[in-house]
Amino acid sequence: MAEKTYETPLCDELEKGPYPSFVTEIKKAAKKTSYAKGVLGLLELSYKEKIGHWKHGGIVGVMGYGGGVIGRYSDCPEKFPEVEHFHTMRINQPAGWFYTSEALRDLCDIWDEHGSGILNMHGSTGDIVFLGTKTAELEPTFADLVAKGWDLGGSGSDVRTPSCCCGMARCEWACYDTMQLCYDLTMHYQDELHRPAFPYKFKFKMAGCPNDCVASIARADLSIIGTWKDDIQMDEGAIAEYAKTLDIAADVISNCPTSCMEWDGKTLKIDNSNCSRCMHCINVMPKALKPGKERGAALLMGAKAPIVQGAQLSSMFVPFLEMKPPYEDLKDFIDAVFDVWGEEGKNRERVGEFIQRVGMGNFLEVIGLEPIPEMIAYPRDNPYIFFEADEEEEEE
Amino acid sequence: MAVTVEQLSDEMYEMVKRDMGVKKYKSMDLQKAMRKKYEDQGADRKMLKLAIRGLIDSGRCVYTYFGGSFIEIPHEEGAAMRLDKEE
Amino acid sequence: MAEKTPTDIGPPHYEKFLPPVIKKNYGKWAYHEIPRPGVLKHTAEGGDVLWSVRMSTARLIATETVRWIADLAEKYCDGHVRWTSRNNVEFLTTEEKNVDPLIKDIQAGGYLVGGTGNSISNIVHTQGWVHCHSPATDASAIVKAVLDELADEFTSMKLPAKMRIALACCLNMCGAVHCSDIAILGIHRRVPEINHSDLPKVCEVPNLAASCPTAAIRPVKVDGKNSVEVLAESCMFCGNCYTVCPAMTLNDPEMDGVCIWVGGKVSNARSEPAFSKLAIPYLPNNPPRWPEVVEAVKNIVEVWKKDARKYERVGEWINRIGWPRFFEKTGIEFTKYHIDDFRYAGLSFKRTAQQRF
Repeated sequence: MAEKTYETPLCDELEKGPYPSFVTEIKKAAKKTSYAKGVLGLLELSYKEKIGHWKHGGIVGVMGYGGGVIGRYSDCPEKFPEVEHFHTMRINQPAGWFYTSEALRDLCDIWDEHGSGILNMHGSTGDIVFLGTKTAELEPTFADLVAKGWDLGGSGSDVRTPSCCCGMARCEWACYDTMQLCYDLTMHYQDELHRPAFPYKFKFKMAGCPNDCVASIARADLSIIGTWKDDIQMDEGAIAEYAKTLDIAADVISNCPTSCMEWDGKTLKIDNSNCSRCMHCINVMPKALKPGKERGAALLMGAKAPIVQGAQLSSMFVPFLEMKPPYEDLKDFIDAVFDVWGEEGKNRERVGEFIQRVGMGNFLEVIGLEPIPEMIAYPRDNPYIFFEADEEEEEE
Repeated sequence: MAVTVEQLSDEMYEMVKRDMGVKKYKSMDLQKAMRKKYEDQGADRKMLKLAIRGLIDSGRCVYTYFGGSFIEIPHEEGAAMRLDKEE
Repeated sequence: MAEKTPTDIGPPHYEKFLPPVIKKNYGKWAYHEIPRPGVLKHTAEGGDVLWSVRMSTARLIATETVRWIADLAEKYCDGHVRWTSRNNVEFLTTEEKNVDPLIKDIQAGGYLVGGTGNSISNIVHTQGWVHCHSPATDASAIVKAVLDELADEFTSMKLPAKMRIALACCLNMCGAVHCSDIAILGIHRRVPEINHSDLPKVCEVPNLAASCPTAAIRPVKVDGKNSVEVLAESCMFCGNCYTVCPAMTLNDPEMDGVCIWVGGKVSNARSEPAFSKLAIPYLPNNPPRWPEVVEAVKNIVEVWKKDARKYERVGEWINRIGWPRFFEKTGIEFTKYHIDDFRYAGLSFKRTAQQRF
């Protein structure tokens, strides 16, 4: 291919300033690949014309899979032949995003050989994202990835690549083993991840505690958020140490959302039966306070961004579940949800929207969960109740 | 008589081919149609999944994405690219 | 053709990549400290210590940079490194003496160390004009311009609380920006343009009509062929139809732009998780550095920084002072667009006589 270098005065403006520049990154890649040269030229045109220049291309993939490849074509290949094709590949990241230098170099070798040399570490869902290659390179890239022990992630109407916080690997607050569960579910649902058979996407995210560092409550169809049942663990000595530098009354007690804490200048008292497991006091005094010992996770479901029917946060389904391999209770719950939503959901209907449409009460009946007050912020405040005919009366 | 996975794949393929350009099918549409027809001949969830896998692995159909995932006869690559261009 | 590639092998097991100190102390960490911005010190129950040095990168990164990160990891961390959920890199070492030289090497390479504690961490974002087919704005450029302006807040910990900023280049929100302290969101503002000659070839009319959340798309015949029409007064420019049918384009250089949302959070600490709310309905696309957007974000950060109490996230601060005062203090104009008129709109009306004067 004729190597062309484009003038990019507008892109160059984005190399200025203290923060690391993506334009500098693209230029690094452009020393090696024509894709990167082309994408820089195309981006310059976008900055000039104030419009994107990529086209939908949902018809490419690798043999056997329906997920993992996002097809993309330039809308002006005559100007930028280098990026006539610019497909993305999603590669399932290791749980917790831990790498060795050797693994990183394997990935770079593969991408320098087959694609643009540009990637996202990581995409929004959590995958390693290889940005930009042509159709003919998809299978060879996939083969090289598999040879090195990597597989593609999800895209389309499938289980999206599960992701989790680093949990027990490096956090004292992890209430269950997020990385192990993430890996376990990823392997258990391989077919659902690679072969889209759902109405729309389904995301799993595992957060080790209610701080929710992976934003599971905002974006996962199933948010698995660590919590504990018993009393917050206290270290009296460490509390006394904190008291020397920290205004415990102002910084801790007055920020407690349920006012379940007391501090008389010497002793900290917690009414654990009223603690809502918000994490504030533990966040402020990590040496002195810890989640209790009876740990597990809450299952919340239904979060999504606005498309189609409006944004939702996940809401409570199971307040507490022990999280121990092989996670049979959890998998039974998930399978019950997949059965009803997978079969009855409409095209592009996330599980949260499905629940809105059929009614939470009906949904609970179908998946076999008892309604409990933990599931609601408050009971309904309208009298439009869909009473069902009393079965006994019907029989008479 | 029991239905085989191959038979299910073949019939799914016929469905997709027959309605090409008229109706796009999702994986579950095909599975539901086959289950309705062959449930009493043993077409259970597991078989239907395998039938979809067979349909795709044989190369007769591919997954596509248009705001949701569908199963279609493979597109010619230029077809999507010609879009948005003035004719 | 070569043999078929094996499928369904899944990702590599994470244990392969964990440093020995983490394997040894897995689930046994006692507490952590932030001795300085960008540096975390985790201490295990048995006394082992792990130092994590957090470095910012652009989310879009070249293999050359990843190789450089691998080199640094080998030089200081026996090859061990991880990424965070906000696109930062964390170098993991057991040796305190490695921390200073590592930071020097990172800074010499042009990257920043920070993003811990009460700081502005990396802005998470979408693909924008670099790769997306439906963006109403670019992503990487705005993020770069905003973070250039706020870089000091990444490398220090002087804010009242954490500040989480996110950007999505259209309402699809790949990466859920809708629960951020400040969200920058690309929006379209005109009705889709229908390509009636392509539409019947690539789209199914029933699917397309069903994709519209407000039922604004109706089947019609155009020149004897199946197509659709859009009821302009019902269209809120969400772009759903375009995702389902590429023959419905919304992109428009003059009408597209950015809106700004504030006060969302995902953590359960103190207050419950919350959606971000509309602060500024529209700012123009002004590449390459979007000065209006940078100024707007900076203004909100500065007013909050000055006015919020310790630990108060943006939404908690606004809840305390009230929305009228938020608009007053930030000088942001309040318009009819700030008042919800979609489903359940009334829930966001003020339903009390409690006021501040």
